[in-house]
Amino acid sequence: MKLELGYIHIHDIQLAAASKVENGVLYVDAEAVKKLVLEDEQIASVEVEVAHPGESVRITPVKDVIEPRVKVEGPGGMFPGVISKVDTVGSGKTHVLKGAAVVTTGKIVGFQEGIIDMSGVGAQYTPFSKTNNLVLVVQPVEGLKQHDHEHAVRMAGLKTAVYLGELARSLTPDETETFETLPLKESMDKYPELPRVGYVQMLQSQGLLHDTYVYGVDAKRIIPTVIYPTEVMDGAIISGNCVSACDKNPTYVHQNNPIVHDLFAQHGKTINFAAMVITNENVYLADKERSSNWSSKLCEFLGLDAVIISEEGFGNPDTDLIMNCRKITEKGIKTVIVTDEYAGRDGSSQSLADAHSSADALVTGGNANQVITLPKMDKVIGTEDYVGIIAGGWDQNKHEDGTIDVEIQAITGATSEVGFNYLSAR
Amino acid sequence: MVKEIERAGIPVVHICTVTPISLTVGANRIVPAIAIPHPLGNPALTAEEEKNIRRKILETALQALSTEVTDQTVFEVKY
Repeated sequence: MKLELGYIHIHDIQLAAASKVENGVLYVDAEAVKKLVLEDEQIASVEVEVAHPGESVRITPVKDVIEPRVKVEGPGGMFPGVISKVDTVGSGKTHVLKGAAVVTTGKIVGFQEGIIDMSGVGAQYTPFSKTNNLVLVVQPVEGLKQHDHEHAVRMAGLKTAVYLGELARSLTPDETETFETLPLKESMDKYPELPRVGYVQMLQSQGLLHDTYVYGVDAKRIIPTVIYPTEVMDGAIISGNCVSACDKNPTYVHQNNPIVHDLFAQHGKTINFAAMVITNENVYLADKERSSNWSSKLCEFLGLDAVIISEEGFGNPDTDLIMNCRKITEKGIKTVIVTDEYAGRDGSSQSLADAHSSADALVTGGNANQVITLPKMDKVIGTEDYVGIIAGGWDQNKHEDGTIDVEIQAITGATSEVGFNYLSAR
Repeated sequence: MVKEIERAGIPVVHICTVTPISLTVGANRIVPAIAIPHPLGNPALTAEEEKNIRRKILETALQALSTEVTDQTVFEVKY
């Protein structure tokens, strides 16, 4: 399966009378976006705001971040099984408004939503301080249940991203990049000398607002399966997560997964990036056992020599991570795990809830318990009312001078477990 | 907590869903629970059925407490 991504570089977003892309500026008709979002009767109101890199702006509580894309050639459309029909995506051509993002905020859904600062120390921790953000401040109708509220906000974000992506349909990309994964036998024949490397992506599926969807299917109801990485670039996996902001994968991160992109960068040179497997992180022990049995069985069946395993979230998914690592290693396959840490504020506590001697090669996204002080911002999109109750905040963490103390757990994407972040040991 | 209470000389049984973590941290008597959000219940069942499984988990736990162990042991619940 072969996909060409055509990037149209966006360096500014402005609200305007008509939506269009011109000279790298994304002009957005806010009224058209509002009309689209308000089609959902569960949404009482929506405000459309813009946040640029470097501005004294804070967005919170952040639910999801989405990159506007459009399929211009090949079957299917963006977010198959959710927005578009359930055709198999991942081949042909897709245009991307690179540098733009849709961010959803508004009344809190759960208690684990994030903060994006566009400048100051907080901006150094979130990758979305560097994107031009069209922010939807979505307020639900009175009495809407949490799950329906999450669904309504999720759909508002996806629909808006699709609307903006459409503006790129007839544009000529500034830059293109091609990604190809061959069927099993062809891939083996083409690169007989290269080690066959796979990627096992664990999807957050603990339920109770910790959910991910694959072609519209709730990931807790899947058994591990094989997916072409280019399908994910076309929105086959979306986030429905109100889990800790620092290490969940927003939809944007699925679309741009750095592990996938880095493996492709070495594909055909030092490795054969042979296959991608997706699995889940459920709350029943039998599910954990079944899914890790299955992921290891698939890795063996695919004839992989080495596998990278990424986690999403923390706590009991640490056990899924270790089970995957142990069982895949037992098949004689080399493993590297990618996770983050909850090692206490001084970093001296045990980092993961589970461990095994097979987990001897690990990449960390950082310590989510690290505390930073966010400066007061001139403008808040959404509300700071929840900074004391979201995961990573605490009672009375906002001071009289407007500064806020938080663990970086509260910062969207700060300790990304697929490496979509800035923390580094260097 | 399990280890500290045991250190004081009182036998402990750890009822938990993710038994591998319990094994990793060193509990000696372990009884598997239902699921992480509802360790001793199951919202998919009727109240009567739930009470029944809760009793079985507790009886297994009490049995475990009065069983001598020489190594870390998981006591499976017979539903």
